[in-house]
Amino acid sequence: MLTPEGMTRVLIAAPKSQMEPVIREIYRQNLFHIEEFVEKDRKEYEGYRIGTPLPQANETSRELLRLRGITNAFMIREDEEGNAGDRQKTEHLAGLIEKELPSLEKDVEDLLARRTHLDTQIKDYEQKIEGLKPFQDVPLDLELLRGYRSFSVFCGYISRELSLDVPHEIYTTDSKKAKLIILVVSNNDRSAAEQALADAQFQAVPVPEEEGLAKTRIGYYESQLLSVKGELEEINRRLDEIKKEHKGLFLACNELLTADIEMAEAPLRFATIGESFIVEGWVPTTELEKFRQGIHYATGGKVYVYELDPTEVEDVAPTEYHNVGFAKPSELLMDTYSRPKYSELDPTLLISIIFPIFFGIILGDVGYGILLLVFSLALRKFLPGGDGRKLLDVGRNAGISSIIFGILYSECFGFALPWSPILFSRHLNIGSHASGHGPDVTSLMMMAIWIGILQITLGRILGIINHARQDHGSHKTKTILANLGWIMVLWGILCMLWAAFPLPLMPDFTGLLPIVMGLNISSIIGIVLILLGIVFIARESALEIVELPTILSHVLSYARLVGVGLSSVAIAMVVNFIAIELIIEPQLESLTAFGTIIIIMGALVFVIGHLLNTILGVLGGGLQSLRLQYVEFFTKFYKGGGKKYAPFGMKKRFTED
Amino acid sequence: MADAATAVAATEMTVEMIKASQIGMKALGAGLAVGLTGIATGIAEMAVGSAAVGATAENKDVFGLVLLLTVIPETIVIFGLVVSLLLLF
Repeated sequence: MLTPEGMTRVLIAAPKSQMEPVIREIYRQNLFHIEEFVEKDRKEYEGYRIGTPLPQANETSRELLRLRGITNAFMIREDEEGNAGDRQKTEHLAGLIEKELPSLEKDVEDLLARRTHLDTQIKDYEQKIEGLKPFQDVPLDLELLRGYRSFSVFCGYISRELSLDVPHEIYTTDSKKAKLIILVVSNNDRSAAEQALADAQFQAVPVPEEEGLAKTRIGYYESQLLSVKGELEEINRRLDEIKKEHKGLFLACNELLTADIEMAEAPLRFATIGESFIVEGWVPTTELEKFRQGIHYATGGKVYVYELDPTEVEDVAPTEYHNVGFAKPSELLMDTYSRPKYSELDPTLLISIIFPIFFGIILGDVGYGILLLVFSLALRKFLPGGDGRKLLDVGRNAGISSIIFGILYSECFGFALPWSPILFSRHLNIGSHASGHGPDVTSLMMMAIWIGILQITLGRILGIINHARQDHGSHKTKTILANLGWIMVLWGILCMLWAAFPLPLMPDFTGLLPIVMGLNISSIIGIVLILLGIVFIARESALEIVELPTILSHVLSYARLVGVGLSSVAIAMVVNFIAIELIIEPQLESLTAFGTIIIIMGALVFVIGHLLNTILGVLGGGLQSLRLQYVEFFTKFYKGGGKKYAPFGMKKRFTED
Repeated sequence: MADAATAVAATEMTVEMIKASQIGMKALGAGLAVGLTGIATGIAEMAVGSAAVGATAENKDVFGLVLLLTVIPETIVIFGLVVSLLLLF
């Protein structure tokens, strides 16, 4: 339960002729985590070389590249879920890849090329129309506006009056935006005309290289554009049809080819010598027999599968979580920090219990809990699997815990529920309804401190177990005693506090009779525990003594469970006070039309305020309680840094054997 | 003259006034505790936050971890909040 999945180190040795069947079988089983072979890494592998890919690797990767080009053009996403009913048989698919796929690919490529061509054509036509537009009202053929030897023609817009005293001929159109002129002067008067035009803020417009009236040319290009666009639509429709019809085929081919490539390139991770090869890796111990039989069956017993003694190998086994279903979503929280090492305790189960409780203590409010629960459940539909789903499940558990603590605290959107708080009161004296003695801060604080003491002690106990499992010899004794020392110092300080001050919710030993030097039995036990603890800690590492104040600061850090929670209650109550007492209630006394608008605004303030507070509360509650796990809890026993168990193989979604 | 004025003021202070002023002082202290620690947290999170954004831009996988590193200085303001709550109630 608190340990990762058990792994066995396996070595497979076989002649090269068996390489392909072996690869196929381990790929099919999807159980074998390959330890990559590195040349000259280990002494016993002297003379071994990295294997070469299977002969079909080149051909397959070329095929896959073409296919990926098409799926990209179609924007088919690989992470789409496959339907179990639509799965394609592999042998059938292999035939399709050979026969149907090339012609299909050719069709699609042709269509895509044609589409690109049409796209450029459309742009071309649109540009031409754009160039012709200024001349559409000019009643002259365009070829008359260019090609003169002794005349200069100016076409363009002016924004001021043009005054010209040389002989000229001018045509002017009046559109709404600007004035288009076509000015013809003799070449001798060109400079004078240019000067006058510059004064009139002339902007030249190039004369299109066309013949005939601009209007007819525009009409012509527009009809061309229409037919090209029609063709484009037709192509898009056909591409859509192909996509709809063959999407499953593309996805299945993609999966099959990807699998083929992975298999073809697997020998790059093997060690080969002469006519044989060796591959080492890990298999979950519970699946070992199945794995061995599968290999035996696939190769007719020509392959040697050997279990290695785990103490002999230097590499550490990969880690695969081994949790009950309830704890699975919390694996996400663990991976965010670091995956546990194989030899380490896996605290996922503890986190899956403690995290929602802490969240509930911080955001204990029935209303906010229901909001979070509904939100997590509603979004599940849009996230079929993966980390997002896990996060939502964590949110769901946190929401349920929040509702439970809301009932205990008697809170719903900052209002009191009809019963008085079963746990401690967190109701602040805000607003005119405020009555009672306000929040029971001292008791809440003591509760938080107790939680801190217990969790830190638990962390240290787990630390003892971890060291007992991982370390050897005298180092083992030292580290175990050091962890015990930390527990002793913590409880020693507590014993002394209990002897000196009467604290609420804590044992009161102030009344015990003093034995020596005015110290009673509790103080003496405390002093002995602290001194012994410090000796144990210093025996492992004297530098650790510097860390002693963290005992206090880490325990006090749990006060955030109360502090963050109370601040969220305060915001909720202030929102209620502003929305209801300051905005809505005064209007209700004498209802007017204007008053109704104010009431609606008050309702808006209420909704937005509580929405914001929910977001703040979920973020604050989630992060703070996660931080307590990572910083205060994990530093006591957890190292992390394990390798992820990534078996060689694929979870098939679109194909089947 | 000034001595006489303070003497008059001192005689006019009633027990209620002293209690009220004590409550005021408590509230002031609580406000300072939250406000000053809030500023300190802000300054600390400024450095962590900008580094965290930089790290996330380089490698998206560290997002979860740096989000946590960013909230670590929040301990300061939470202690301030705890102190002010204990002062007030």
